[in-house]
Amino acid sequence: MTPALALTALVFLAVALVLLVTLAIRRIVLARRGRRYAEAVRRVRPLAIRLLEGEPLARAELPPGDQTVLADVLGRYARQLTGSDEARVADYFRGSDALARSLRELGARRAWRRASAAYRLGDMGCEAAAPALLAALDDGHRMVRGAAARSLGRLKHADAAQPIVEALVSGRVPNGVAGEALVELGPVAVPQLHALAGHSSFRLRATAVALLGLVGDSADSPLAVRCLGDPSAEVRAAAAGALARIGGPAAEPALCAALDDRIHFVRAEAATALGAIGSRAPLPRLLEIARGDRFRPARAAAQAVARISPVALAAAAEAPDAGPHLHEAADLSAL
Amino acid sequence: MSIVQALLWVFSWLAFAYFIVYGVCQITFTIIAWRTLNRYRHAAAFTPLDEVYASPFTPPVSIVLPAYNEEAGVVASVHSLLDLRYPRHEVVVVNDGSTDGTIHRLREAFDLVPVRAALRTRIPTAPVRGAFVSRTHPNLRLLDKENGGKADALNAGINASAHAYVCAIDADAVLEQDSLLRIILPFVDDPDLVAAAGGIVRVANGAVIESGRLVDFRLPAGRIARFQILEYYRAFLIGRLGFDSANAVLIISGAFGLFKREIVEAVGGYALGTVGEDAELVARLQGHLREQGEPFRIRFIPNPVCWTEAPADVRTLSRQRRRWQRGLGETLWRHRRQICNPRAGAFGLFTLPYFLVFELLGAVIEALGIPVVLIAWAIGALSVSFFLWFLAVSVLLAVIVSLSALLLEEYADRRYERGRDMARLVVCALTENLGYTQLTAYFRCCGFVDLLRGRHDWGVMTRQGLEPPAEVPLPQRRARA
Repeated sequence: MTPALALTALVFLAVALVLLVTLAIRRIVLARRGRRYAEAVRRVRPLAIRLLEGEPLARAELPPGDQTVLADVLGRYARQLTGSDEARVADYFRGSDALARSLRELGARRAWRRASAAYRLGDMGCEAAAPALLAALDDGHRMVRGAAARSLGRLKHADAAQPIVEALVSGRVPNGVAGEALVELGPVAVPQLHALAGHSSFRLRATAVALLGLVGDSADSPLAVRCLGDPSAEVRAAAAGALARIGGPAAEPALCAALDDRIHFVRAEAATALGAIGSRAPLPRLLEIARGDRFRPARAAAQAVARISPVALAAAAEAPDAGPHLHEAADLSAL
Repeated sequence: MSIVQALLWVFSWLAFAYFIVYGVCQITFTIIAWRTLNRYRHAAAFTPLDEVYASPFTPPVSIVLPAYNEEAGVVASVHSLLDLRYPRHEVVVVNDGSTDGTIHRLREAFDLVPVRAALRTRIPTAPVRGAFVSRTHPNLRLLDKENGGKADALNAGINASAHAYVCAIDADAVLEQDSLLRIILPFVDDPDLVAAAGGIVRVANGAVIESGRLVDFRLPAGRIARFQILEYYRAFLIGRLGFDSANAVLIISGAFGLFKREIVEAVGGYALGTVGEDAELVARLQGHLREQGEPFRIRFIPNPVCWTEAPADVRTLSRQRRRWQRGLGETLWRHRRQICNPRAGAFGLFTLPYFLVFELLGAVIEALGIPVVLIAWAIGALSVSFFLWFLAVSVLLAVIVSLSALLLEEYADRRYERGRDMARLVVCALTENLGYTQLTAYFRCCGFVDLLRGRHDWGVMTRQGLEPPAEVPLPQRRARA
């Protein structure tokens, strides 16, 4: 046994020494790399700002290393930009080495390289990257598909709505990423969302209606109103939330009816939506709910009353049967 | 063979088997941690926090901060929480019957005024005496309740929270600016799957903190705190990532954890009568969610960072470790039916036995080793060369794990930029087994004894404070002046 232990000890000693050396080298390399990158960022930042302000910039003026850093900096800025500024960033990247390299890296062996490339392509804003990104939605790795969906949203590529919805349905892309991409796409995603609202999965129906609330308009109100009658409470609650944003002539009566839903969180969402719409007609029912319903709808109803009519709230809170929610809403409203 | 020799023989083989299994676990955890942290490091390049911040899918979060006699630092803590980079969050401070000026300092600093509040009653708590809302920060609320302990205060905060996600944090903890955005990511990606998540806790001793934000990362001057930095690296960067990979996390630190409120309510909130309420809650969630039969995840995420003050002296360290040991023992006892239960999945078959053998009983085995070696040597039953090689292997394994943790930190986060600081941590890794490990093993043994004796109190944590107390005088003092 002792020789085996001695051998193990020697192996462990060697491993410990290797780790120590790696730690030292890693620290030196990282420190040097970080310093160089920071210096390069300092050098190219004025160029990036000039470019965004509309000055022409020849790519050949920069050494290849600085071009990569400039691409990083512009990519970061591009996330905050819209309109002509965003278009200028796209113009810079169109036909650039950075674009070509990122497109090549979509075929890299390592998933993180493919995901990074897909992500960068979205920041570059070049429509030319869209076909490759659409193909990347079928990548074998979830993070690559997620980065591709996000970038297609940023590119506002109209043809991406259907593939992204399909990726959402099959679970190939995380819910949040797919939802955010569809929101970025905006109204062009509405037809696909209408179709998704008829899916057999209640979770997907709820997601579709919630997204319609974000990207749709009053023309989509009838669908949301129909969804208030869905067998699934999650879908009804999402429909109430959507109607709070898109409104429409049939929204208010449908939401008033939803105040009598048998599921408490649907009543809560309906109350919140009515508070956002602001009509005084549902006040009596909202006050009734605020006085005697379960916690969540009662709080939502009291807050809705506060939004619709602070005066009515103050009066109701003085009543002996007002209850804690109306008291709370009145005190908060008075601050 | 005499009885003593037979006992020594049994113990030495048990210790040997213990060491082998422990070593295999540590090496496996380290390999998993390498892979996972590598993934996180690369993913940082395409994790758009700006977009998460702006996304309509990022849900609002209620942060619950229990405070008992925290007048020295509570104002700074609340300021740092209010300043967190997050689209919609509220801060619910629960004054748990403090006997100092906690409530006065908060009221003055944030212009808190009394309101009539509607509180849920699903989780019973000690009576709430009053509620306050800030006129300057509408997303800050204060509950004033009778003393009921930390778990009770957290439960009261959960009852008062307005949002569906609740983040529990310690009053002395400092969250990094984007830590909430980072910890919410798995919930945004898989809202139906993820039930709870914990972030990484780091030792703040020595760091420079201004207005509730860490502005400079430095090593503490004291050795005790430095050794703990290394311990935290090992526990979080290696241990918890390993358990996370099997969806078998037991501990989401009380210093920083995010939960779906509905699920916490469904299991009855934090348990009273235990000093390990954080692990106990996670164990109950694991059991409850497995019983429901729906897929779920309880996550450990290594990049949302929470900084906390570690004990800087031996006495405080002793109290903390004894309390942790008791808390772990109480949790394992309460959930003994899940231990080695196939229905509890990897959590029951691996995590709980691991904590039972290596964390709870491990201290006793380690402490027993010293007298056993001495007895064996005295009666001539000790093979000195075997013992010395065994000692060398076990110390080297510990050194390898510690160096791996340092290297992982270097790859993943690299907070201590000064080369001198990293060199000091390497020295800690090399010297930890020359006294510190034995000291903490002794404290854990004492905690085990406390557990057997049924001790329930929290003990006093002496804190030096992470930054100077806020300059808000108490009303009485001002009146006297």
